[in-house]
Amino acid sequence: MAIRQVRTIGDDILRKECKPVKELNRRTRQLIEDMFETMYEANGVGLAAPQVGILKQIVVIDVEDGNQYVLINPEILEEKGSRTEAEGCLSIPGKHGIVTRPAYVKVRAWDEEMQEYELEGEELLARAICHECAHLRGELYVDVMEGELMDNEEEGDKE
Amino acid sequence: MTKAAGKASRATKSREVILDILFEVLERDGFVHGSLRMALEKYQYLEKPDRAFITRVAEGTVENLLAIDEVLGRCSSIPVGKMKPVVRTVLRMSVYQILWMDRVPDSAVCNEAVKLVQGRRLGGLGGFVNGVLRGIARRKEEFLFEDWPLRYSMPRWLIEMWQEQYPKKTVEGMLQAFLEDTPTAVRCNLSRASMEEIRESLEGQQVKVTPSPLSPQVLLLEGYDYLERLEAFCRGWILVQDAASALVADAAGLQPGSVVLDVCGAPGGKGLHMADRLKGTGLVVVRDLTEEKISLAEENIARARLDNIKAEVWDAREFDGRWQEKADVVIADLPCSGLGVIGKKPDIKYRVSRERIDSLVLLQRQILAVAARYVKPGGTLVYSTCTISYQENEGQREWFLKNFPFTPENIAGRMGTAVKEESMKDGYVQLLPGRYPCDGFFIAVFRKESE
Repeated sequence: MAIRQVRTIGDDILRKECKPVKELNRRTRQLIEDMFETMYEANGVGLAAPQVGILKQIVVIDVEDGNQYVLINPEILEEKGSRTEAEGCLSIPGKHGIVTRPAYVKVRAWDEEMQEYELEGEELLARAICHECAHLRGELYVDVMEGELMDNEEEGDKE
Repeated sequence: MTKAAGKASRATKSREVILDILFEVLERDGFVHGSLRMALEKYQYLEKPDRAFITRVAEGTVENLLAIDEVLGRCSSIPVGKMKPVVRTVLRMSVYQILWMDRVPDSAVCNEAVKLVQGRRLGGLGGFVNGVLRGIARRKEEFLFEDWPLRYSMPRWLIEMWQEQYPKKTVEGMLQAFLEDTPTAVRCNLSRASMEEIRESLEGQQVKVTPSPLSPQVLLLEGYDYLERLEAFCRGWILVQDAASALVADAAGLQPGSVVLDVCGAPGGKGLHMADRLKGTGLVVVRDLTEEKISLAEENIARARLDNIKAEVWDAREFDGRWQEKADVVIADLPCSGLGVIGKKPDIKYRVSRERIDSLVLLQRQILAVAARYVKPGGTLVYSTCTISYQENEGQREWFLKNFPFTPENIAGRMGTAVKEESMKDGYVQLLPGRYPCDGFFIAVFRKESE
């Protein structure tokens, strides 16, 4: 297991389309392990493979609902409603922006055993699914945000 | 995606939203009512106190804009008109908080203002914003204005126009009333539930309910979060409608079985009120210019679940032969300058002009001439506006009587005991805020001569 380097905005790799995963070998399994570790270390709730420099359609998500989701070759099937909230990205450190995302999404993907499954998400999970799937298409939230990029507050500064 | 993004300081977040709303209204000519509603709908995740804060600052800033700009003009080296639009908006909303909101510490207002301009890539102006606002915070007591246009932030020409018609005291009462907070008025749909059931349901959801002194069917609501989430609303038991507008149904003198045509009736408040009064008899047809407006009326009709009412698109300026002398009652609640609802839509006072009123008078005449032809001989025409201007109201009434075969209908006593004006026996009443607890509203009732 290893923590990988997170690529930040300006790095061309974040703007490229990712290729579908055809088979799950040892290296891909290792990548998924590393992605979780990298995400946890950076205090994130989701990470896409291109963020660690790998152009494969792999997403990991943990929105602290007790599940570790792995989405391989994800395909969004359905979107409903909309929620407008601040959103941040490990590839755009220290910033956030206002982004409108669906309130609900349904996605089809493969899990770590390459079994096809469908996942439904609401609120934060829906947001994370959309945000991470966008990475696989080379899109970042700054492409769709409303208004300006804003600086995050210092830790502990609440008012 | 990062974890903490959604938790950007709430104080900053609220002010970001306010800045966006006010920028839209003050720099892009938007409507405060609409922009605010859209923003609150969008940021549903914000907590109730945050949304109350947003509403208060957005409305308050627009309401007091003339005074705010005067203060800024005195304390800033750069004239208000020459500031960068974002900076101007940040300063305006901050001055409102410093001078009108005691519970927000001045230092917090200044800090948040600096953060706002920094967040919009205008960090270099942080020092300017900070300096101007701290200066204003120090000189607060200098800004108690006596002159009405500043004290009530009302354009001088409007004050003068009203003073031509009303005594000074009445005008000042109006100006004060416009700045007061008013609860939301809803009219109860008695075809679906009794007043007691409706009250119980509202109070069960912690809404503060007061009956309107003007209309027994109207309740005043305070302390709710989203109206759309109240059981009484979802069930079609209540619909937002000011007490003044609810008086139109009283004035109309409906009879069981009446056929009513409301020529500019979306979103259907008055029409639904009359359909409710007709208790399933007769028919109310609500018309308006656009699909969009009619679909709002249709939503309201569906929620109220009344069968004796329908909505359809029709341009009130076009005569519709099918309705010639067919209506027992025609309601002509026409486009107007809206000066009576300045309390709810404060941007109106800066938007209206004499030219605008002149052109509205012509439009109203055009529509009245068409509406008059729909009234059966012996039937009734009700002309109403939510404004306070002689030209659009009393003047229009005189013009109508002179040119059409109608006589004024005596409406004394039709509006219960709360509304008593000499003019009612001559068939009209001008409700003034301050004098009555409602919007400024004009109602005139005419009867068509029988052959």
